[in-house]
Amino acid sequence: MSILDAQHDLSAFRQEIRDWLSKVVPPDWKARMARASNDEYIAFQRWWMAERSKVGLAIPHWPQEYGGAGLSHRHLVTVADEMARADAPQSRLFTISLIHMPGTLLPHGTEAQKSRYLAGVANGEVWCQGFSEPNSGSDLASLRCRAVRDGDHYVINGQKIWSSNSMYADHCLLLTRTDPNAQKHRGITYFIMDMRSPGVEVRPIRQANGRSEFGELFLTDVRIPAENMIGAENNGWRVAQATLASERGVISFEGGERQRYEMEAFYRKSLEVGAAWLRDAQLHREFISFLAEMQAARRLLRRVLEESDRPEASASVLPSIVKLSSTVLRQRICSFMVRIAGVDGQAFALLAEEPFGSPMFEFMSAFSGTIAGGTNEIQRNIVAERGLGMPRI
Amino acid sequence: MVTSATETASTLDQATLDALRESVAGVLAEQCGSTELHAFIDGKSALDKTLWAQAGRLGWLGFGIPEPFGGLGMGAQGLAILHGELGRQSAPGPYIATLSAAQTIVETGGEAIRQTWLPRLASGEASAAVPATLDARSLTRSGAGVSGTLRCLGATDAAFLLAPADDAWVIVDLARAEVTAAPMWDRTRDVIDVRLKDATPVGVLPDAAATRAALTQVMALAVAADSAGGARSITERTIAYMKTREQFGQPIAGFQALKHRTADLATRLAVADEMVRHAVQRIVTDEPDAELWASLAKSEVTEACVLVTTDCVQLHGGVGFTWDFDPHIFLKRVRLNEVLIMANTALRDQAAAALAAITASGRSALELGL
Repeated sequence: MSILDAQHDLSAFRQEIRDWLSKVVPPDWKARMARASNDEYIAFQRWWMAERSKVGLAIPHWPQEYGGAGLSHRHLVTVADEMARADAPQSRLFTISLIHMPGTLLPHGTEAQKSRYLAGVANGEVWCQGFSEPNSGSDLASLRCRAVRDGDHYVINGQKIWSSNSMYADHCLLLTRTDPNAQKHRGITYFIMDMRSPGVEVRPIRQANGRSEFGELFLTDVRIPAENMIGAENNGWRVAQATLASERGVISFEGGERQRYEMEAFYRKSLEVGAAWLRDAQLHREFISFLAEMQAARRLLRRVLEESDRPEASASVLPSIVKLSSTVLRQRICSFMVRIAGVDGQAFALLAEEPFGSPMFEFMSAFSGTIAGGTNEIQRNIVAERGLGMPRI
Repeated sequence: MVTSATETASTLDQATLDALRESVAGVLAEQCGSTELHAFIDGKSALDKTLWAQAGRLGWLGFGIPEPFGGLGMGAQGLAILHGELGRQSAPGPYIATLSAAQTIVETGGEAIRQTWLPRLASGEASAAVPATLDARSLTRSGAGVSGTLRCLGATDAAFLLAPADDAWVIVDLARAEVTAAPMWDRTRDVIDVRLKDATPVGVLPDAAATRAALTQVMALAVAADSAGGARSITERTIAYMKTREQFGQPIAGFQALKHRTADLATRLAVADEMVRHAVQRIVTDEPDAELWASLAKSEVTEACVLVTTDCVQLHGGVGFTWDFDPHIFLKRVRLNEVLIMANTALRDQAAAALAAITASGRSALELGL
């Protein structure tokens, strides 16, 4: 069975997804994952990807020649919307595989790279990203991980950090320095690195929210075949812009929609149990203000999606404005949830079954929004300089 | 609500709306720029009168009024555009009172009242006054006459007042009423005190609750759109100033501390614009949650715009504290907007009650569509 058979009628397509989700999503998955070990979580993520694959929803938005179904943006948004509505698991283990890798290879990869790597994702291949370094965070272009040509290979030495799911990854999107004498943006080269190569060591990083989603990569004399280069030597910075731009769009949209259902479920539950905060006029007002901002944020996310199909999209600062507004809003919402939950809300727990069931976990996790993917301070630079035309000094 | 006027509006495409906005913006930029505005607030011109006459000739005052009554029938979409652009230039004149009264008459006025007043309002021949706040204050009715004192939004030469009188709303001819101007810090707005003694209404709108709700919704949208337009405009002016003002040998626009603040202002403005658009959309498609979102657009947008406009004064430095620069004009206007209709806390309380009711009925107030 493939849900894609219904693609020509959008409302039938939506109904098929809804029916499938109601059958496939285990009702207790959140409770199970709240107690799961890392291995159980990874197994669950792989199972979920396999289920999506069975009905044609693993990589439906990719071109048909690379194993996708060439679905339109509207279809993809519909999928995301239904996933959020059903509170289905996110495919977090596969974020780089599904978004960043195709976002990079489709415009910049060779034919051989595209046919080799794109189809692999539907079979569960996990990708990670090797961009940031301990001394190159916001100033990414100052990266120092070296790549030196040796025959038909490059030899890599250096360190990478904040690499999501690198502990489980098969491949890595890697930025390296090939010309240390060139101006910093001009000496960078982009590679696909096999994570099983000798000399690759990954150490998980424990986060402030108790999880370990990031890893640190230590690369010692790792040999990468020259054919794994994406784009030309020393042209990696330009290729990297495609990777970074791919983060915008559907994934944030889905996040916004999930928050909507989460807030709604939280509110319904509060009404049902007659929660104390409902009797506090000031808290009630605060909550209703969040809803107004949330609707605005969801509308802005829809604008980003509309815009992303247009040629001038890469120059837009709207994604930065959206990131600033939605991540700060998320932080304020989580902060509200912590305040109203009292001491119980700070009992140690990770993913909870109830909406905002572990508010302190959600609050600590909200920093990933304001810090990852270019800190909000970098977003402010972008808005001011590119959007408002204020000078770079 | 605002359904009858918006049946045609829902079919308006974005290109038509953009063209409309551009035409209004072009006229106002030419005639209500900073120089003209300063001359007006210093009492050196009758800009409010000339703009009003022109608005009537150009059909602006009929944007929300259905075609059979001499308007263009563009409902909430047309009104949001007009108020947004008037706000951008801090244009003086009794627009919020008149256009909101007209829209309320469209909703709950009855045929005779519509026939009498709507064509005159659409042409600009008559302007209206409405209570500045829609709280418990009311005129009193005794026999055929109404009496009482109300502080209203509207010009001293307003043709009529639309106001609550006990268990109904009434239209009172102001030609023979005692009307005194109440000078405000915001000199771009007319506020008047109306004193009535046994005046005979020229029209009665018997459904008080529906009339109050209609006026609240249309005023909320007007005030929100005006605030968002004004705050965006003064932010743009502020950024332009920061690019020319040099200190420490460079334009102050290059300092990161200031850049980050303006980025935050731009973010707040983007959110405010979406809140206005959301309210418009819910009104146009006549959703049961339209009132909720119009109320919240007013409460959230006016407060955000006060913060933005306040920061624009500060980002100007010393000249921001002078009468001769623009920021104070915009700040005073948005401060008045913030307290019109009713306190924002009360609007949020109403919205919370509406949310609870919608949720209890098994529906969602958060639908957006794709």
